[in-house]
Amino acid sequence: MNSPPRKLDLDQWDGRYEQLRRDGLREPAYGGPLRRHVVREKDFRLQQLRFDNSPAALRLWNFLLTENQRLHQARAEGDKIVGTMKDLGTVPVMAYALPGLRAFYPDGAWWTPCLMECGDKLLQKAEMMGIDASFCPVRAMLPAFQEGGHFPRPDLLVCSAGAICDDFSAIAQRLEHLGHPILWWETPRRRQPASGERACALPGHLAAPQVQVDCVRAELQRIARALGELAGQTLDDSFLAAGICAANQVRQRLDSLRRAVYCAPAAPLPALEMLVAEMLAIHFCSDRQETIAVLDALLAEVQSRAHRSQFIIGPDAARIFWVNPVADLRAMNLLEDLGGRLCGSDFMFSHALDLIPENLPPLDALARAALADPMVGPTEDRAARIVRECRSNRAEALVVSRIPGASHCAREGEIILQIVRREIGIPAIELEIPPVCDALSPSLGSRLRALVETAQARRPK
Amino acid sequence: MICAGIDAGSRSIKVVLFDTARAQIIASGLADQGVEQERLAAELFESLLQQAGLDRSRISSVVATGYGRNAIRFAGTTITEITCHARGVHWLAPDARSIIEIGGQDSKIISLEEGGRVRDFAMNDRCAAGTGRFLEMVAARLDMTWEKLAQLGRQSQAPALISNVCVVFAETEIIGLLADGKPLPDVVAGVQNAIATRVAALASRLASPPVYFTGGVALLPGMARALEEVLACPVRVAPRPQFTGALGAALCARAANPSPAGL
Repeated sequence: MNSPPRKLDLDQWDGRYEQLRRDGLREPAYGGPLRRHVVREKDFRLQQLRFDNSPAALRLWNFLLTENQRLHQARAEGDKIVGTMKDLGTVPVMAYALPGLRAFYPDGAWWTPCLMECGDKLLQKAEMMGIDASFCPVRAMLPAFQEGGHFPRPDLLVCSAGAICDDFSAIAQRLEHLGHPILWWETPRRRQPASGERACALPGHLAAPQVQVDCVRAELQRIARALGELAGQTLDDSFLAAGICAANQVRQRLDSLRRAVYCAPAAPLPALEMLVAEMLAIHFCSDRQETIAVLDALLAEVQSRAHRSQFIIGPDAARIFWVNPVADLRAMNLLEDLGGRLCGSDFMFSHALDLIPENLPPLDALARAALADPMVGPTEDRAARIVRECRSNRAEALVVSRIPGASHCAREGEIILQIVRREIGIPAIELEIPPVCDALSPSLGSRLRALVETAQARRPK
Repeated sequence: MICAGIDAGSRSIKVVLFDTARAQIIASGLADQGVEQERLAAELFESLLQQAGLDRSRISSVVATGYGRNAIRFAGTTITEITCHARGVHWLAPDARSIIEIGGQDSKIISLEEGGRVRDFAMNDRCAAGTGRFLEMVAARLDMTWEKLAQLGRQSQAPALISNVCVVFAETEIIGLLADGKPLPDVVAGVQNAIATRVAALASRLASPPVYFTGGVALLPGMARALEEVLACPVRVAPRPQFTGALGAALCARAANPSPAGL
């Protein structure tokens, strides 16, 4: 089963899958050939992608692409479903702390049109519902909620408000008006403690005034009560502490995976699989325990490849730090086709990769983790982390990708570019990547290739 | 050794033959772009060989650049316009520290280090408002050549204010201005200013002097002046601005010396 690493298209994966089966591949219940997601779910975009050829990558993709089925099954088995919106990594930790609760991320519906090449018409339907293309593609969740058929209607919908993007607020408010009650919790915009004000350390080398942490903790206390009522038992500190510990197991594995891949002399795993793997940090793809197993398998594969000095992208590839998730996954393939490789990433939820403090009262620790969200703080904080990681991972260039309509901070990309240029002087570009970028591939390709050329030309001779 | 550079742009194809021993351009030519890019490029390439009295076998390497570069299969390799324009402009004007290139379908700003290496770049290829396409639209609407357009722009006394946000809306604005009796030179100058403003938004963070302006649009005299005004710094037109990409490709061919395929 230990084939040399390479990327396979869907046709090639069909053959590879048959071979793996003959060789005795053991899969979890959600396993199967990748092709079935095209046939059954109409995830047509998979036909345009190239995937890592390892069984671990197959497991990752199958885990990702069966989430809705997993949620429906959980509902059928009596679990309560919690939709956690605009919260990339805090409330899910709380929800999974209680038996019988499953958290998911309805905003993730923005990926559905991307995977289905808009064949689901979710974006067009959102437009008919008054949320047009000037809004973030997260608007796809409106018709997904209304129609059902994608994810089950949640038993509880939780959404953060305050220091989040205006687009999302508008979409979520529209959702509530459409008859989906939301439990709102407020997060303030993170700021530096003023002189003489009691300061509080946050994960990710950040700080905030104690008063802000207290505020968020009180809000999370409210959420904890609601989750407890839903589950029929109190979400107390012991549950929360165990939940934090389990979430940290996921984060530790992601940290190990990121180090193993991004710091390696050549890339042992493709950028596309890294993006998907990192996404698991947000809400564990609706199964926290399986997330750990999926990440363990990926990490073992990466370590095995590194041990054998077998890589998917050679050492000459330009080391690119990538900021923000892409709407069209093909962009990640494109980067590697054009001579680049990922050496770091900030997919917008870097706080969900940091360990939640386990030496503090659990709600206090979670409040600090929530306040470390890059979206609730100034862009300069986010850029500082990017600069740190670019330095430590020896990035040769930076890409900030944008999704049309997604504008939680319209100037953020430009600010990050300016700070990175000023601090480390590497070439940096901003790219706009729509849900399906076929028509833009030549121009995207030109920019990425030019970035790779520029990075490589700057290497010491 | 003779190297060739081909710039397959959106509007025209440019070819440069470069004698590396004498370090000079020995032939250059330009043809309108079309559907059969490779055939058009090959015909132009052949005609330049004839003009220079050279046989194909004398060409040691060919590099293609431009948006259509991947269609030029007889080139030994392809390199992006960013690298090629930087190389070409630096060879012609070694003091250049920034390059503005406005092409038919995109615009670029390239920041150079001393020695001509690319420091950074930015591109606009999503919106026609900062590209030569805007001028093409105006020329077509007014039924005149680019040259005539440029002459008109120079006569302007009070340039019109025209949207730089969208070419489609701008076209409507232009029709309205002309219907209102706005003098044609003022409308043309207004278009040039709109393009310059759009490009300046891209360029402002990367442009450091000396700034050189290249690409086909640089041939329009009013454009450099419009850029100077919005950037508030001198903008020099690169020598032979249409050919800097192809020249850069030829210089890259000299450096890389890839074997030409199918020649």
